[in-house]
Amino acid sequence: MRPKDPQDTVQACSDIPLKSYYTAEDIPDSHAERVNVAPGEAPYHRGFHPSGYRSKPWRIFQLSGFGKPEDENERIKFLLKNGETGFIMEHDRNTADHCYNVDHPEVLARREDVGLTGAVMQSVRDTAICLDGLPMDTSFGHAGGAVVQHAPFALAAYWAVAKKRGYDLSKLAGTGQSDFNLTYLGCVTKQQIPTDAGLRFNGDIIEFCTEHLPRWVPVSIAGYNGADTGLTPDQELGSLFANAVEYLDEIKLRGRIPLEVAARGCGGVSFRASIKIFEEACKMRAARLMWSDLLKQRYGINDERVANLRIHCVTAGSKMAYQQPMNNLVRGALMAVSAVLGGVQSLGVSGYDEALSIPSEHAHQMSVRIQQILMEETGLTDVTDPLGGSYYVETLTAQLVEKAWAFFEEILARGGYLACLDSGWLHAKAEENQHKEFMQTESGEANIVGVTMAHDDSSPFEIDGFIGSDDAFDVALERLKEVKRTRHEKGAKTALKDLERVCRGSDNIMPVMMDCLEAEATLGEVGDVYREVFGDWRTPIQC
Amino acid sequence: MTYTARFSVIGVRQFNVKGSDVVKPKRILMAKTGLDGHWRGPTIVARALRDAGFEVIMIGMATTAEIVAAAIDEDVDLVGLNIGGHIDVALRAVDAVQSAAPDMPIFAGGTIPPHACKQLEAKGLEVFPPGSMLTDIVDSANRLTGLSTAQ
Repeated sequence: MRPKDPQDTVQACSDIPLKSYYTAEDIPDSHAERVNVAPGEAPYHRGFHPSGYRSKPWRIFQLSGFGKPEDENERIKFLLKNGETGFIMEHDRNTADHCYNVDHPEVLARREDVGLTGAVMQSVRDTAICLDGLPMDTSFGHAGGAVVQHAPFALAAYWAVAKKRGYDLSKLAGTGQSDFNLTYLGCVTKQQIPTDAGLRFNGDIIEFCTEHLPRWVPVSIAGYNGADTGLTPDQELGSLFANAVEYLDEIKLRGRIPLEVAARGCGGVSFRASIKIFEEACKMRAARLMWSDLLKQRYGINDERVANLRIHCVTAGSKMAYQQPMNNLVRGALMAVSAVLGGVQSLGVSGYDEALSIPSEHAHQMSVRIQQILMEETGLTDVTDPLGGSYYVETLTAQLVEKAWAFFEEILARGGYLACLDSGWLHAKAEENQHKEFMQTESGEANIVGVTMAHDDSSPFEIDGFIGSDDAFDVALERLKEVKRTRHEKGAKTALKDLERVCRGSDNIMPVMMDCLEAEATLGEVGDVYREVFGDWRTPIQC
Repeated sequence: MTYTARFSVIGVRQFNVKGSDVVKPKRILMAKTGLDGHWRGPTIVARALRDAGFEVIMIGMATTAEIVAAAIDEDVDLVGLNIGGHIDVALRAVDAVQSAAPDMPIFAGGTIPPHACKQLEAKGLEVFPPGSMLTDIVDSANRLTGLSTAQ
């Protein structure tokens, strides 16, 4: 938005004052020497690889899924047919995030909600239906399990299906995310394991993947989920690396695998790509630089295969407006541009119907088309780090790095990232920013086209939200009964007993979780073990 | 039944003094009908209502039974529902509140598609989808609790 007077202060989202133009003098001395580094060279802010998108385009990677496992399977196939180059399995929030089966009282009370945000997968049979005919061996697959307490189950289900199909786990590529920001900060569950138990799970996943799935990204810290909750770009960066420190310190403490290997596993992260194009592009550049410096300075790791951060981005869902939804196609494209200018490896564009529902088939197709247009028609892929050397971009990158490290240090001084989740300190930061951003819109200081200005009451284009299928609950309940009736009951119960024993001890949870899935133990039964052993996280906010 | 959701009172306004009479603040219950804990919207709204002088009782993700119990036990003047899932779940909560407390006003906000807004409005609710202004929400709360008669 244009300031009232050109001399008025204009601020970046990260609370950095912006000048009306920049010169070479503005680039901080500490950063000036880095400007001439080539992409693919430390500290990597200029990009992952010198030939950038010429040698490897970003992965088109869309969140997808709803209803029954077969509905989700159909949508994923639709996206792959339309040009998606990896696939993401979404799980139903009600069941997956809480590790409940559909017959849990909290779910029964909301049966119509089941399947609205992802498919219901309560046993390995459901996961097998969802993965039917999908290219698990050649594609980068996201097994779902974005939520920390759900990740071991979702990963084990995916791997169990892969094993049954005869795929070699050591060649399987994918991720499960397992991100604290999602349910401990952004979208808090009614019930989940405490953060220390979550850290143990993620440590176990990192160790298990190191041994059995070297091509898998075991955990993927999602700055997105912090940012779309309200953290500013500098805070998103600072908290993300503070989170990485939790994992690396944990692995170091355990001392069972080389730290370099663990760092490689933590080096696939995700960010939000929001609407302030230059600041967001600078954020991706800053992230690579910070990761490289963190590994070098804190852990003495210099290996370029480890220090070179890989970034997945999703465009900001919260920037998509309810009013005049077609405008969101433009917003999605521009946010994607910011990610591409920042040199990310993987990208998802939120649907134009984001403010109403999960994406319709058409909205999903357009999210893919936007990326294809950027990739094929615009020349954005011709030159690596096209913004490199810009006085403004280099200055803002350096300023973001500085602010982000300050936030990182503040988190560490408060006991670390997980302590700041437990205490609600990060929530308070996010809430303050949400309020500020909202009040800027409310006061007319910032505009949203179609919402606070340029109303179009004469020819409104209305969409009505995608509902998905209406039998997800009924089918899930039937299948739950079926699996309990026809599985080898003793085997399932033994596996669950073993799981409880391992949860109470300190062995890696993943081997026994694989046993549970192969014995057809169900999600809710696994969740019951967690609730019994670990208890409940004391949520620091009321929402 | 009693409600088991964890709850907190997130704000109490200064008691209004009209002459020598102390006026009790109006109380608003805020609940989420779904099991999806996105808190950005309800928190911004709760803060605006608190700043406008209301006492806001937030019980978060709550079942229909918990919402009804809280509305009655907390003796609220208005119920606010944050809706993010299937409209049938929200409609069930609306029906239950209206049946237990026929005069209780209800308003709703959240990612509510147009067809669902119409269903809620047909039950007498004021509805605030994304993009609504806080001033309009506060005006509605004032009107629904009888603090103002302005339309």
